[in-house]
Amino acid sequence: MRFKFPLLAIAVEVAIIVLFALYVEYEMDPDLSQQTNRTNSTAADQSLQLYPLFQDVHVMVFIGFGFLMTFLKNYGFGGVSFNLFIAALGLQCGIMAQGLLHNREQKFHIGIKDMINADFSTVTVLISFGALLGKTSPVQMLIMTILEIIIFAVNEYLVVEIFKASDVGASMTIHAFGAYFGLTVAGILYRRGLRKGHTKEKSVYHSDLFAMIGSLYLWMFWPSFNSAIAEPGEKQYTAILNTYLSLAACVLTTYAISSLLEKEGKFNMVHIQNATLAGGVAVGTCADMEIQPYASLIIGSVAGLVSVFGFKFLTPFFATKLGIHDTCGVQSLHGLPGVVGGLAGIVAVAMGVTDRFTVSSQAKALGSSIGTAVGGGLVTGLILRIPIWDQSSDLDCYDDSVYWEVPEKKEYD
Amino acid sequence: MSSRAGHNGDPLFMDGSFSSPPQSSKSTTLKPATTLSPHLPALTPTQSISINAAPNLWFLVFQDVIIMAALGLGFLTSSLRRHCWSSVAFNLFMLAFGVQWAVLLNGFLEQPSSGGIVINLYSIQLATMSAMSVLISAGSILGRVNLVQLVVMALMEVTAFVILRTFGKKFLYMDDHISLTYSHVFAAYFGQMVDWRLSKPLLEEAKEKVQMATGPGLFAMLGTLCLWIFWPSFNSALLDVTDERKNALFNTHYALAVSAVTAISVSALSNPGGKINLIHIHNAVLAGGVAVGPSCHLIPSPWLAMVLGLIAGLISIGGAKCLQVCLHHQLGIHDSCGVRYTFGWPGLLGGVAYIVQMVLRVDWTWNPMMDQQVLIYMGMLAWVVAIGMLSGLLTGLILKLEIWKAPHEAKYFDDQAFWKFHHLATGF
Repeated sequence: MRFKFPLLAIAVEVAIIVLFALYVEYEMDPDLSQQTNRTNSTAADQSLQLYPLFQDVHVMVFIGFGFLMTFLKNYGFGGVSFNLFIAALGLQCGIMAQGLLHNREQKFHIGIKDMINADFSTVTVLISFGALLGKTSPVQMLIMTILEIIIFAVNEYLVVEIFKASDVGASMTIHAFGAYFGLTVAGILYRRGLRKGHTKEKSVYHSDLFAMIGSLYLWMFWPSFNSAIAEPGEKQYTAILNTYLSLAACVLTTYAISSLLEKEGKFNMVHIQNATLAGGVAVGTCADMEIQPYASLIIGSVAGLVSVFGFKFLTPFFATKLGIHDTCGVQSLHGLPGVVGGLAGIVAVAMGVTDRFTVSSQAKALGSSIGTAVGGGLVTGLILRIPIWDQSSDLDCYDDSVYWEVPEKKEYD
Repeated sequence: MSSRAGHNGDPLFMDGSFSSPPQSSKSTTLKPATTLSPHLPALTPTQSISINAAPNLWFLVFQDVIIMAALGLGFLTSSLRRHCWSSVAFNLFMLAFGVQWAVLLNGFLEQPSSGGIVINLYSIQLATMSAMSVLISAGSILGRVNLVQLVVMALMEVTAFVILRTFGKKFLYMDDHISLTYSHVFAAYFGQMVDWRLSKPLLEEAKEKVQMATGPGLFAMLGTLCLWIFWPSFNSALLDVTDERKNALFNTHYALAVSAVTAISVSALSNPGGKINLIHIHNAVLAGGVAVGPSCHLIPSPWLAMVLGLIAGLISIGGAKCLQVCLHHQLGIHDSCGVRYTFGWPGLLGGVAYIVQMVLRVDWTWNPMMDQQVLIYMGMLAWVVAIGMLSGLLTGLILKLEIWKAPHEAKYFDDQAFWKFHHLATGF
């Protein structure tokens, strides 16, 4: 840890700067606008209109996901600050990976749309990071970030360019992909010593409250997430509305089911923090399709239901029986609702709401997302298992004091 | 930031001025926005979505700056163990106070002849950004002064800053963008001098209170993230050509990303145990945004901004690590919240980067006046630092007077001096 992480990180950063110097240019170079006709300047104005949406996505990535991961009582610093590290590194890798895949020219030009896509690619890493929260070293996170973003870019290329499927809010390519990637890695990195649980893997009152900050930011800005890369105009408008409705419906079922499943009808804070967001995940694929408002309400309700049941039964089952320990429960927040979203997309296309996509292309996209995620997760997990990455011992898991200078506890804190 | 898709229909914001009567029909309200801000994309009321996706950018940018000032700078300074309430609340107070004073002063100095001051969204934005310099300077003395002293400081600092802008505009051709991005340097050196005049050796019981605690540390991280996310808006807020604005957004974005990665890894490198210090993270991840500020609209390609972000992250952590301790011992400057290495040095780096950019851009053979030009660019930076230090020194001397009844040393960094607690001292 003393030198391995910082030197590796700075080396990666320098390498990225060199790659940027070689390949990346801004999209409105003066000579470029002279070559093309006058419509170019209006195109530049148009893309500046995307900036507010980009900012919303940015808030979700850095504040939303960051604070959502502060729920562990001794891992708050790590949750929010490693989140910042992964996302800041990931967005640079994302620009490079997507630019190199989608362009055939010597240099490629980046604009706000590419920044949104880069932020999206970091979301997959953050979701996978949720499954591994507290169990990995910074070096492992760094390596996983780079590998996962490359694999994500390949899968996204397959889904969008080869299968030509629709996934505007990225239920499949981001949420299902990120979740199953993270789960596979978590399965490979499983710690036998911790199968009975860990004393520090608990939340306290104020750490749950911090996590709620993240949850609320995600909830508020999710309509922007699902509509950010939709076609401007009617489609973007539909995406905002559908997500809004689905999220609202999801909150209702989450509270209802949570109270139903817990003893004495009390609410479980874990469900409230996470399952309320499942509606936004699940409506992603068909957000910009002409589904009726009631359909997005149905999607949201089903997602909330599936998610709470997942947290209650599936996450413990995976941890005890299958040897896949999922700290944040990304299986139930992103994995299952992502699959629900993929299926909803297939159903919506089959019912004929759009003629631009086919059932088979949507099914292929869902299959490829999960397949690539599991395959990529296997490779990444095996690489992360090589014992040279400063893995922490079982005892040191879920503890900030291993990687952070933490303040000493005082009685009134 | 929650409602950025809905303000286009409000005639007040579209018009940008309180002086004209509110209009009711949408077609007429859309027009005046272009007179205020000629670079903004034309709104097309026929498509419903374009209104939703592109409301008045001025108002959006203004909202972002307000979030940076109230939430970002407010929570950034809240990491001290027993001083969180005061940090956030005094910040809001100084912001509200400073904005009003700045609106008045800007109005008097810019429209001296007319009978009344006409204010619009732009002038409020300018005033907010000027008041942010007060919030930054306050970061270096928070915890050791009372509210009255902060009010006096806000009065002095906003006045000094408006004078700086007015004379800078007249003699050194500083536009609003340059003077407001240099405001970080100004604020850092202003705060430094006040801090130097006010510093006293800490008592034993206060030493325990200047440490960070876990909960407040996370709140400070919330402030950092608010600043980090919205910094591109700050740097591009006062530019009026679309291309420059876009360049500014992109360059700031990439510089910030690089300085975040650099700060976290260098913080781990500089600790004997390889551990990361959260206080470094609170401050140094922002250094890239400060450093790229003055030249952000001129940098032509992303990697240059990224190099600037890398250097800024390095000097920020280096400064926090080495010079913080040494300056504290030698000069007795305390610097409660690390203003010097968040805003001071990265700001100076930004000033140097701006001079270099301007020198590189101009064709030497074509322009015989170049020597003088370079002198003017250097003069801007020197002027900003000089005014910051002089007015800071003066303010420090005034704040040291007995009449303000500054808190006793035993009550430094303690919310109890200012707030009503329902429970006992140890119970919060």
